Amino acid sequence: MEPVIRVENLTYAYPTSRDFVLRNVSFEVHRGEVLAVIGPNGAGKSTLLKALNGLVPHFYGGKYGGRVVVAGYEVLKTPISVLSTKVGFVFQDPEDQMSGLALTVWEEVAFGLMMLGFPREEIPKRVEEALSYVGLKGLEARSPFELSGGQMQRLAIATVLALKPEILVLDEPTAQLDPLGKFEVLSVVKRLADEGATIVIAEHEIEEIAYFADKILLLDRGQVVAYGPAREVLASVEELKSRGVDPPSVTELAYLLSRDLGVKVPAPITLEEGVESFSKLLGGAGGA
Amino acid sequence: MPIGASLLKKTAVEADTFVQRLDGRVKFLYFIWASVLVYVFYDPVLNLVLLAATLLLAAHAKAAKPILITLLVIIVPWILFAVPILSLPLGFPWNKTVIGYIELFGRKYPVYLEGFGWGLTWPLRIAVAIASALLFFLTTNQAKLAATLFKLKFPFKVIYAVIATLQFIPLLAAEAETIIQAQTARGLRTEASVLQRIRNYLAVIIPLTLSSLNKVQVRAIALESRGFSAPVRKTLIYEARLSAADYLFLGGMLLATLLLAWVYVNIGYSPISKLPWVWAG
Amino acid sequence: MGAEVKEISPAGKAVIAAVLVPTIAALNYVGGVIVEALKAPIWGDTWATILGTLIAGFWVGAAGGFLYNIIMALTVWGLPQWVWGFANVVIALITWLMMRMGWTDLKKPITWVMMIVLYGLLYPVFTTLVSIGLFGGGPLWKPLPAAVYAATLSATGNFFLANYAQAVFTEIIDKPVSFIISVIIASRIPKRFVLAR
Repeated sequence: MEPVIRVENLTYAYPTSRDFVLRNVSFEVHRGEVLAVIGPNGAGKSTLLKALNGLVPHFYGGKYGGRVVVAGYEVLKTPISVLSTKVGFVFQDPEDQMSGLALTVWEEVAFGLMMLGFPREEIPKRVEEALSYVGLKGLEARSPFELSGGQMQRLAIATVLALKPEILVLDEPTAQLDPLGKFEVLSVVKRLADEGATIVIAEHEIEEIAYFADKILLLDRGQVVAYGPAREVLASVEELKSRGVDPPSVTELAYLLSRDLGVKVPAPITLEEGVESFSKLLGGAGGA
Repeated sequence: MPIGASLLKKTAVEADTFVQRLDGRVKFLYFIWASVLVYVFYDPVLNLVLLAATLLLAAHAKAAKPILITLLVIIVPWILFAVPILSLPLGFPWNKTVIGYIELFGRKYPVYLEGFGWGLTWPLRIAVAIASALLFFLTTNQAKLAATLFKLKFPFKVIYAVIATLQFIPLLAAEAETIIQAQTARGLRTEASVLQRIRNYLAVIIPLTLSSLNKVQVRAIALESRGFSAPVRKTLIYEARLSAADYLFLGGMLLATLLLAWVYVNIGYSPISKLPWVWAG
Repeated sequence: MGAEVKEISPAGKAVIAAVLVPTIAALNYVGGVIVEALKAPIWGDTWATILGTLIAGFWVGAAGGFLYNIIMALTVWGLPQWVWGFANVVIALITWLMMRMGWTDLKKPITWVMMIVLYGLLYPVFTTLVSIGLFGGGPLWKPLPAAVYAATLSATGNFFLANYAQAVFTEIIDKPVSFIISVIIASRIPKRFVLAR
């Protein structure tokens, strides 16, 4: 099956800097897969994500090498406006990504459709669908700026869902949110993942991603350090920690048990798995 | 300035009167028409008539209060300064006709018609302009404003810039308030020396600017990622359309114009108060 | 490396301008509000025009300043005020000139001289013409400038001079101070935000 995203030897430097922020990055994402991009700050995660919808290189300019093909389009040769129908991008700051043109939540969701010239009759249906999906039904008449962080970020997701893109890209969507907001947003992302959406997400909340990421890409100083099934990448605890990334606590515990006490347990990556594995270890009957 | 406070709250007055339902273009035309009229004529009483008409429309649309406040803050002090300074013998070069005398500090001073007329007419001209502009603005909500500009074939990025300004102002003002509070907690006092007050100003304006510039970056790429630059005809939700009420209103304006044109030709540019001609009057 | 690397030129400037211009207009506006709140001794409503020109060039600064006046004309002051938009364009022009001639270094005395001459003496000529042509050339509705007007009028009997003196009085402190403030802010802005050469 043809991957819906194919990145080959992507190398990039911003116009104002001499250093390459991405170096020979290669990976693939298949339809329905969730790829999580992790790594320390400054690793280039944001830049990598922006290379998927054309912001890199078209918006910023700069030095660009390698090849990125997204939903059949070669990014280098396709304008951002076309790519925006295929890739829905959600940014980190809920407020800053609001258009500034919409007086109401409804108009904000309709914004992308308005920009791309969708016929007026089609817009209300799409807006309603998107708002229902993220759980903001009933807030249509509010000003987007009056919402809480979690609501605003879900609104941002709705605005891209309205365009029915093939791929969803989220750049640290929960970084600026309080725990409730994080929960709200990640619930929506999980639901999208469960329903078969193709997602690329950069996140620091490793514990949460472990629930729905199929593959993980570990980026450090612009280079791919690890790339593979989520379980594998998360299990390499030493590697993660040396790069400044904290693996899930349960995984780290299993690793330490193995390293220091010689006790082998299949590495869990979520809390539930951890409870199961450790209960078995302790000889208890099933989960506590 | 407290005058501009209207922008910091919900700007359009949401009532459902015929004024709100008039097309944005018609109201904008009224704004221009009234302003031009008061400049063509040199007659404070005529200005007052137009002002009253505008205020009546505003009152019907429940938008009279902000207009009256604005006029109170700007026009009234202005007249109070202009009339005395210009009508008393302080040097206004066109003063010739004495209309009365006033007693000040035991001396009698002549009051001149030319200066008096000037000091009344000019502020009232501005009053009509302000009132009609605010009428347009307060009774036209943002979506209709955008649709009006769109119908007038403004390029989309320009429409965006205009509407976005209206959205950004409250956002920036809220952030400024947060910064002021934070700085106050760190010892900023408004009762201070002139130099200190400028330093206070810097302590607020610098973080505000840096934060705003950051937001510009993010917003620009967010807009771009949602097809802002797509070379297609944008779809706007609301479409500007003229209705029967609009045509009626336009008809009224046309009649008034014809009447006033007749007056101008046959009676003169100062029909009611009969003010003498002053340079640039 | 292996892969050949191409140089791409950025296409984002137009969108950045579309967002920056309203930001400048809004900053001009909020600047005026802050001045009021902190009782700073300036008008403070064209500082962002100067700043915009310093960081993004003449067109962005002028557009932002002009838009500010349009919004003010639409919402507060009425139609004739839109003409002051051109005053903002003149401010942007003067700022651009100061940039080109290198008169933005506050340590150089020439900067201070040109600042006062251009903003404080030359610019008021423009505002005087607008004042007389569109607003009747009477005294302002603020006490101090009105007093200057009255004094000049009774001392010289010259209508134009009275207007000019009032204009200079109003601008000679505000504009240079706004310029200084904008230069200070512009120097604190990280390079990546600066679009002007």
